[in-house]
Amino acid sequence: MTKTITLDHVSIRFGQYLAVDDAHLEIAGGEFFSFLGPSGCGKTTLLRCVSGFIQPTEGRVLIGGDDMKGVGPNKRPTALIFQNLALFPLMSVAENIAFPLEVRGISKAKRRKRAEELLELIALPGTADKKVTELSGGQRQRVAIARALAVEPDILLLDEPLSALDLKLRQHMRTELREIQKRVGLTFIYITHDQGEALTMSDRVAVMSKGVIEQVADPVTLYDRPKTSFVASFVGETNAIPVSVTARAGDRVSAEGAGGLSLHGVAAGGRQYKAGDACLVFVRPEQMRPARPGDNEIAAKVVGDEFEGNLRHLMLETSAGLRLRMSLVNDGSPPPIGPDGSILVGFPAENGLVLPDGPLAKG
Amino acid sequence: MSSSAAGRLGTIAFCLLFFGFLFGPLVIMVLTAFNSSPFPRVVPWDCFTTDWFGKLAGDAKLLTGLGNSLFIGAGVVLLATPIGLAAALALSEVGPRLRGALYTIFISPILMPGIVIGISTLMFWGRLGSGLGFGFDSVFFNGFFLTILGQVCFISAYSMLIFIARLQRFDHTLTEAALDMGATPAQAFRKILLPFLRPAIFSSAVLAFLASLENYNTTVFSIVAESTFTTELASKVRLGIDPSISAVAVVIIALTLFGAIVHEAWQRRAAALAQGGATAARILNNPVNAFIRHPATVAAILVAVIGGAIYLGSRHNSDVCVQSILDAKRAEQERLQQEMRERMQQQRQDAPTAPGGSAAPSTPFGGVFAPGGLGGGDAAPAPAPAAPPSAPSTPFGGVFTPDSLPKPVDAE
Amino acid sequence: MGALADFRQIFARHGAAVGLFIAGTVALWVFVLIVLPQIAMVLISFSHNLPPSEQGGPNDVYTLSQYGYFIFGNDGGFNTLHLTILAKTVLASVVVTVFDLILCYPIAYLLAHGARQSMARLMVIGLIVPYWINEVLRAFAFRILFGSTGLVNGVGMTLGLWSEPIDFIREDVALYAGLTYAYILLMIFPIYNAIEALDRNQIEAARDMGAPWWRIHWRVVIPMAKPGIASGCTMVFMLTTGALAAPQILGGPSNLWFTQLVYQWFNDASNWPRGSAYAVILVVVCILFTLLMMRVFKVRIGEIGR
Ligand SMILES: Nc1ncnc2c1ncn2[C@@H]1O[C@H](COP(=O)(O)OP(=O)(O)OP(=O)(O)O)[C@@H](O)[C@H]1O
Ligand SMILES: [Mg+2]
Repeated sequence: MTKTITLDHVSIRFGQYLAVDDAHLEIAGGEFFSFLGPSGCGKTTLLRCVSGFIQPTEGRVLIGGDDMKGVGPNKRPTALIFQNLALFPLMSVAENIAFPLEVRGISKAKRRKRAEELLELIALPGTADKKVTELSGGQRQRVAIARALAVEPDILLLDEPLSALDLKLRQHMRTELREIQKRVGLTFIYITHDQGEALTMSDRVAVMSKGVIEQVADPVTLYDRPKTSFVASFVGETNAIPVSVTARAGDRVSAEGAGGLSLHGVAAGGRQYKAGDACLVFVRPEQMRPARPGDNEIAAKVVGDEFEGNLRHLMLETSAGLRLRMSLVNDGSPPPIGPDGSILVGFPAENGLVLPDGPLAKG
Repeated sequence: MSSSAAGRLGTIAFCLLFFGFLFGPLVIMVLTAFNSSPFPRVVPWDCFTTDWFGKLAGDAKLLTGLGNSLFIGAGVVLLATPIGLAAALALSEVGPRLRGALYTIFISPILMPGIVIGISTLMFWGRLGSGLGFGFDSVFFNGFFLTILGQVCFISAYSMLIFIARLQRFDHTLTEAALDMGATPAQAFRKILLPFLRPAIFSSAVLAFLASLENYNTTVFSIVAESTFTTELASKVRLGIDPSISAVAVVIIALTLFGAIVHEAWQRRAAALAQGGATAARILNNPVNAFIRHPATVAAILVAVIGGAIYLGSRHNSDVCVQSILDAKRAEQERLQQEMRERMQQQRQDAPTAPGGSAAPSTPFGGVFAPGGLGGGDAAPAPAPAAPPSAPSTPFGGVFTPDSLPKPVDAE
Repeated sequence: MGALADFRQIFARHGAAVGLFIAGTVALWVFVLIVLPQIAMVLISFSHNLPPSEQGGPNDVYTLSQYGYFIFGNDGGFNTLHLTILAKTVLASVVVTVFDLILCYPIAYLLAHGARQSMARLMVIGLIVPYWINEVLRAFAFRILFGSTGLVNGVGMTLGLWSEPIDFIREDVALYAGLTYAYILLMIFPIYNAIEALDRNQIEAARDMGAPWWRIHWRVVIPMAKPGIASGCTMVFMLTTGALAAPQILGGPSNLWFTQLVYQWFNDASNWPRGSAYAVILVVVCILFTLLMMRVFKVRIGEIGR
């Protein structure tokens, strides 16, 4: 009972404003699929389009191969968990959960039974007659999930369902959500602006920026082989070094940066560059190290030092004003910092990812 | 900080003055309902009496008017509440441009002078009726019909404002959630939006009823040959004022206070229960508290208090006191007449040719002092026995006599 | 077209039954209860006062005579009596409005920012309760208060402020007081709504900078309150000019309110067309005057009525 979802070149406009730009992808049945992107990038809009509250301006939405044009939200095999949960405040927990059955005209006794089963499933037995206002944030969260499951949807859509919870509960609910998904075997489409959430739970992630889907991939690929500057800078921490290409050999690229920097890196996705192209070399803080022979070498000064126990983060600045971040595993030996704070750092060429210059994620 | 202290003092003084202005006239009016003086006043105080309420209970016209008002009020509630709801819903759905225009139209009956609404209703239906060939006994000239429509015209706008305020707090994702769960739009409306609006429906009904009951400006035109509570009251006031009108005020104030207190008890309980947790538990788990704070208990207590007051009031007999005042007045009057007679005697002696023999007093108060005149509601008040005989009573003159009431300016 | 799309949206959102209910009910209200009666009244104001038998007959033609009468009376000269009454009504309403504003602004400010929560709640109840009592009775209360043996005269004479009872009714003092009283709520709540949105910190900041209290009000609070003041003043002004009960009960015998003229044309002279014409004049003058004032004080219509 799982259905594929196809977004066929979907664009959504609000007046002149292009909220979703040519989204084209397929989500397999039973997949845990996430949309990841900063606030305002069009995630909710896309989800509302799938659940039927918004019509695509261009393109089609197909569920299980059927075009959903003209099919209202109450007729689609989807259930949406709203960003604010949208639990009905005037109803009890059981009434909330049984609402989908109530509108289908199912008898009161059956409704009650099903509500109690679902409460069992979400580990909240005995709360059936409480008011939703009497529940804690995490409990409400689970009631919203139970209510959505009562619809018996093929696809569950979740719009940042954990954003209202505190950190600890959020981490707990991540595992729980994933478990529920495995148990019920539904397709989950999950929206978040928290990359940790997306990476830990998802089978695949689509990264969005300003209405555009930048990359669709599994978490590992997304982290190690980002396709655009935006994805590289949004997923995980990284250093971006602006350079200009000087030479290319196969997927190896040589480039030079400000302050006489000479770097070698890998052209991501086998892109072809020619001399003079403006590019960015991305390198993760944990892949930087005190320079070894054969490394790309960067001379810098330590301007900040964060000690975290197992890790040590150094903030560096080159003579050209480029700021870098380096994370070292604390192995008991101090980093080789000169008396004037100078340090020679480096990274192997295969860890330097060369991507075309483009907008970066803020922060 | 003496300047801020002075500021505080000024603020408090202003508030006291303001609320004095707000409540003072009402308090005085309430007091006059219990004074036996036939002219409503507080000083000088004659006798404590509850007779004015008895007079009120026997006022057939006012009671007929009240019955009519209740009927009209019910009609207005039944029409204005759905209209207000529909208008508020329409406003919440349409785009911003249309919303501005619609809002202006919807709100205009509130700003329109009430008499204009009354007149236009009368004109429109009258012309429509006679255009269709109906006579004056048809519904188009029926005071109830016209008044209900006239009042609904602007009371709907009040009720709309209540619904708008409530709707603004509605979370529209709830409706969307219901749709997403498979509800039809109609089901979502009935099961989600309507229950949310229920308190507003209640407030709107109460407000519409009160507004209908108290309306004068529109009703006085549209009521044609019938009468309502308020129009009867107004004609009573215009024909001559007496404390039984104050007694009406007492009854209304008592009823509104009763309603307000019960409502407040209900609200507080609901708020405490909605808050949940310890506050609610304190109410629910303690039987004494649960009983005392229940609105029904509050209502019962108030009913008992009011009933007791009515019972005691009905047992109170002010006849003796009134009689003694009457006697005092009669004595005073006799003394005055005596004085007068003596003065006339004097004059007759001074000028024997003067027209004489008249027993009628020639003071401007003429017959007022005759015992029969004391019952007259509107006449100038008799000087209280305590007042010195020389108290200037002249200026009361004819102000309150019916003649001096606003009269048509005969311009034609 | 926008309107059509809007209504289609209502149908889509709530279903056909609810959509029809909304559209039908609103149409009924707007057309049958608001617009058509007004049109009928305006049309009738342009007709002669004919007995029913002649209505629709050859004599039933449109005429300006009802309006002409208001300006010129029967005999060519100006109808100074009625013109003065109109002018006086408008002027007195302005005075009453200004009075209400002066009285209500401090209270609205206190309610929004000065008083503690519980106090404010009490104040709101105190404000509303007097208005559950009949309009006629409120006027009656003022009649008692200002009567010759009323409390005002009693206190005034006891204190020796004046020696003879003053006829407050004839002097219209009772009327102005009663009218001021009648619409206080309509002034307070719009102003309150407007300044409630004001951030307390703004006032605190201004005070920290050493601004005197009057400057804080002039520069910070009043600009914020302006839309509220505008709607409050508009409502109070419109309702005061349109008041009937208070002038009938509290007005001096020789001083008529314009609404009383209208009333007389209907009830005493049975001249419906002329009464209608006078009613139209009342509305038009009120609206024009309000628009003029909004121009003078640079208030946009959109700011009114919220
Ligand atoms: N109904 C609408 N009319 C006009 N613009 C809209 C509408 N809904 C959304 N937008 C715009 O579309 C853009 C994307 O909004 P959307 O709600 O999809 O963002 P989001 O990615 O879900 O952000 P967040 O993480 O903050 O929830 C925003 O710039 C928003 O202003
Ligand atoms: Mg969103």
